[in-house]
Amino acid sequence: MVSLITEDFWGQGTFVAKSLGMPDIPRVKLPHPVAGLGEVKIAAIADSVVETILDSFENE
Amino acid sequence: MSDFLEAENEEQALEQLHEMDCTDGLPVVIPTSDRVVKFILASGLDGDMVLGELGPAMGIATVEKVAVAAVMAGCKSDYMPLVIAAVKAAAEPAFDLSELQATTHCTAPLIIVNGPARHNCGPVASGYGALGPGHRANASIGRALRLCLINIGGGRPGVSDMAIHGHPGKFSYCLAEAEEESPFPPLHVSLGFDTSDSVVTLLGCEAPHSVIYSDDADDPEDAEKLLHILSVGLANLATNNAIFASGTVLVCLGPKHASALARADHTRESIQERLWELTHAPKTEHIKYGGEFGKAFRDDPEGTYPRIPTPKNILVMVAGGIGLYSMVMPNWGGAANTNSAVSVKVESEFFCAIPGVG
Repeated sequence: MVSLITEDFWGQGTFVAKSLGMPDIPRVKLPHPVAGLGEVKIAAIADSVVETILDSFENE
Repeated sequence: MSDFLEAENEEQALEQLHEMDCTDGLPVVIPTSDRVVKFILASGLDGDMVLGELGPAMGIATVEKVAVAAVMAGCKSDYMPLVIAAVKAAAEPAFDLSELQATTHCTAPLIIVNGPARHNCGPVASGYGALGPGHRANASIGRALRLCLINIGGGRPGVSDMAIHGHPGKFSYCLAEAEEESPFPPLHVSLGFDTSDSVVTLLGCEAPHSVIYSDDADDPEDAEKLLHILSVGLANLATNNAIFASGTVLVCLGPKHASALARADHTRESIQERLWELTHAPKTEHIKYGGEFGKAFRDDPEGTYPRIPTPKNILVMVAGGIGLYSMVMPNWGGAANTNSAVSVKVESEFFCAIPGVG
């Protein structure tokens, strides 16, 4: 399992991960916000993080 | 047992609580051991008794910790049964507290009080300005729940409470139903409780939106016009409910508007049913103005959809002074249980009046 979290929500992600007893859950940081960016920009973000996401799965 | 802080005086203690983000930003009553113990005694319950788990921190809400919040909020010990019931309601899974605290939506828990506890554990105001300043029980009971959500549930703005703007009801949001002025049975009776029960109903919702309607007893269409205006405020396309077609909303009828509806032989149930019908809207509007969410109906754009799932998802209560206004409170509508309303019976039989304790 890998969580995708935007920059502004990074602190919240850390907080929730700890409170749910999963402090080490793999997380990948995305720029904020991602909603409403349109397909071109969201595809560019996906391209920029896909390797990190795959690495996180392999290291799990 | 809660941890103790040390300070030389109450002024220093207050600054310490502010610095630790344990307040809502306003001054609090310092929860000294003596004050908290008296509130626990007044509750008639064991301080270690667990009332529930509050997210997103998943903190355990004990009677003692809730008493700390009630003291800090400026409650009288008489209010403890209502604060405890509100905390129990917030901890119910159907309330979706963790998500409600974390969402970017502005939602805040509104406490609605019904039954004898409106007087015995208050008085909790239900008339003029019930949602405004000047009513100690309303102000401090709502604030006590907020302090529980901060200090037990861990909801802190920008860290775990990601509301984009929040709203002033996140300081305190509490009122009673004006049962004596209502032409309808009390809300809690319609929800299945006995008339003699005292009940707290908790709904996560937006700040109240004012709805003006100048009723006219000579107009045979008066009630229908009023319901139309209420439906416009309740589920216009700017609300989450209209966009997500989910959630539970509140209509807080002013007594005059309630009378106008009763004059037309409306019941709470017929009001819910008609408002639900009136909040159906063309899918084409959702597709055109719903932004990214507008994709939901693009494959099936014909006809209308209910902006509120069922008539029962429209709570109807009566409160406020006599005039031309009612209030509507749309809500968030997210999370696993779509941000449901939760009602909890107030257990006040264990309450003990403690001499010298306010």
